[in-house]
Amino acid sequence: MHFKSAYLAGVIFHLLLVLTVSCRDTFVAFSQAHTIFPSNLDSSWREAESLTTAVLGQDLPKSNPLRQGLSAYLNAAGIEAGYGFFAPHVPGTYKLVYELHYHDGRIEYETPSVKTVSAGLHLVSLLDFIGKVEDDVVREGMIKLLVYATWRKHHDMSMVRVIFGTVDFPTAKEFERGRRESYQVLYAYDVTLEPKAVPIHQP
Amino acid sequence: MQVAWKRVIDFAYRIQSDEWLTVLRIGLAIQVLLYCLFMRSDWNYLLAGTGRGLISRDLSEAALSGESSLIPRLGWLAKIGSHFGMSEALILDAAWLCLLCAACFLVVGLFSRTAAILTWFFHLCAVKSGGLLAYGMDNFTTIGLFYLMVSPLPDRCSVDYKFRNVGLKNPQLQGPFRRVLQVHLCIIYFFGGLAKCAGPDWWNGNSLWRALTQTPFNIISPEILVKWKNLFPVVGISVWLIEIGYPFFIWSKRTRLAWLICVLLMHIGIGLFMGMYLFASIMIVLNLAAFCPDLIRLRPGRLRRSEMVRGEGVLSA
Repeated sequence: MHFKSAYLAGVIFHLLLVLTVSCRDTFVAFSQAHTIFPSNLDSSWREAESLTTAVLGQDLPKSNPLRQGLSAYLNAAGIEAGYGFFAPHVPGTYKLVYELHYHDGRIEYETPSVKTVSAGLHLVSLLDFIGKVEDDVVREGMIKLLVYATWRKHHDMSMVRVIFGTVDFPTAKEFERGRRESYQVLYAYDVTLEPKAVPIHQP
Repeated sequence: MQVAWKRVIDFAYRIQSDEWLTVLRIGLAIQVLLYCLFMRSDWNYLLAGTGRGLISRDLSEAALSGESSLIPRLGWLAKIGSHFGMSEALILDAAWLCLLCAACFLVVGLFSRTAAILTWFFHLCAVKSGGLLAYGMDNFTTIGLFYLMVSPLPDRCSVDYKFRNVGLKNPQLQGPFRRVLQVHLCIIYFFGGLAKCAGPDWWNGNSLWRALTQTPFNIISPEILVKWKNLFPVVGISVWLIEIGYPFFIWSKRTRLAWLICVLLMHIGIGLFMGMYLFASIMIVLNLAAFCPDLIRLRPGRLRRSEMVRGEGVLSA
């Protein structure tokens, strides 16, 4: 009986973690997106999110062994994130376009690419991540890393203009009326190998 | 209180066959094999360090260290390999090969436990080191591999049991490990459905339209899709109803088959119409392992006591 109870206690602890993480991410989604719930509930969602974050030990200092251990367990079990895929709304798609300027004056356009469809889905995740980064320096640094991957393939370039934006797709009704997808520029950078990138457009 | 606890224990420890474990083991092994094969040509490009790949693996691992320094990553292997003069590319190739081999052992059930642990470890290293590139499929594979690794392996269909005479574990142990997968799936679908239900666009079909028309999920041309636009609200509402209803209808024997078929069809649809083949397959594997074996009526005597106690297996609880 004792071994049964011990196993079960472990199972219940694990499932409570799954539940807490799911609640936290759901509260985050509810507090940040337009939902069917009244907007005056937003502060309640944020409070609930803070509570669940605290339960998961995320409020503790980063070096705290409890936080470190719990984070390691959540990641090892694959339960560190919730399950609100495509919810409450399907997020917009981000697009990155390189304008490659060559020494001889040629200009070509390219997008980051991978060889397989499966890796393509991973690339979409990366662009989504970059799109959500709020820190300008971090975002610029990540984009520069992507540019560098392109630079290795085209050695004779003088400069790369990077345009990062969202693809806005029309609704079904708008599509029927003839509206097609549009590209909205969020950030643009001119990148050369030597100096630091110069932001040329910010919304 | 004691009565409630006893009920929970009875629910968790109900003796059941290990067919679910066979489905989980073989399904996950095939999933990882497909993952390896699909990712082979981009493996090094996506997981290389600064200045050698698409984006720096070091960046993902630095972010990972912010969470916890105990999370497995490819950087650990690269560091060990560098002591022996191995290049980063060689380490990445070796990690890919180890993952492939571990999955091959897992699919036939040879050295099941070790293979499950190694598959989980190498897969987790790849997923966490490519953290910026990860999406839902990676998480669900990790979840499945974690449960498989701690489950009472081997199962009756494994090479370990059939040819190496490794005994089965206490059949009562099958209960809690399978229950945790079942309850976890209920949580996944409930919260997935709840979050969708809260979005007005999942009521009017806009979300479904957006999901099917945006890159890279636009397998079907919008010109074709728009002809079916009146169906989108119905399908959109059906999606979150199926998800929210999962924890309520999957447990009853009367509704289980219907609900399971609905969920499987939903995932087949995601695979076919959105091109998310690996995401669809991992969800199908987890669902089949969790709930499908119950639908196969066990013949009397199928769970033979003698089979349960062979080798080091014990029945005493």
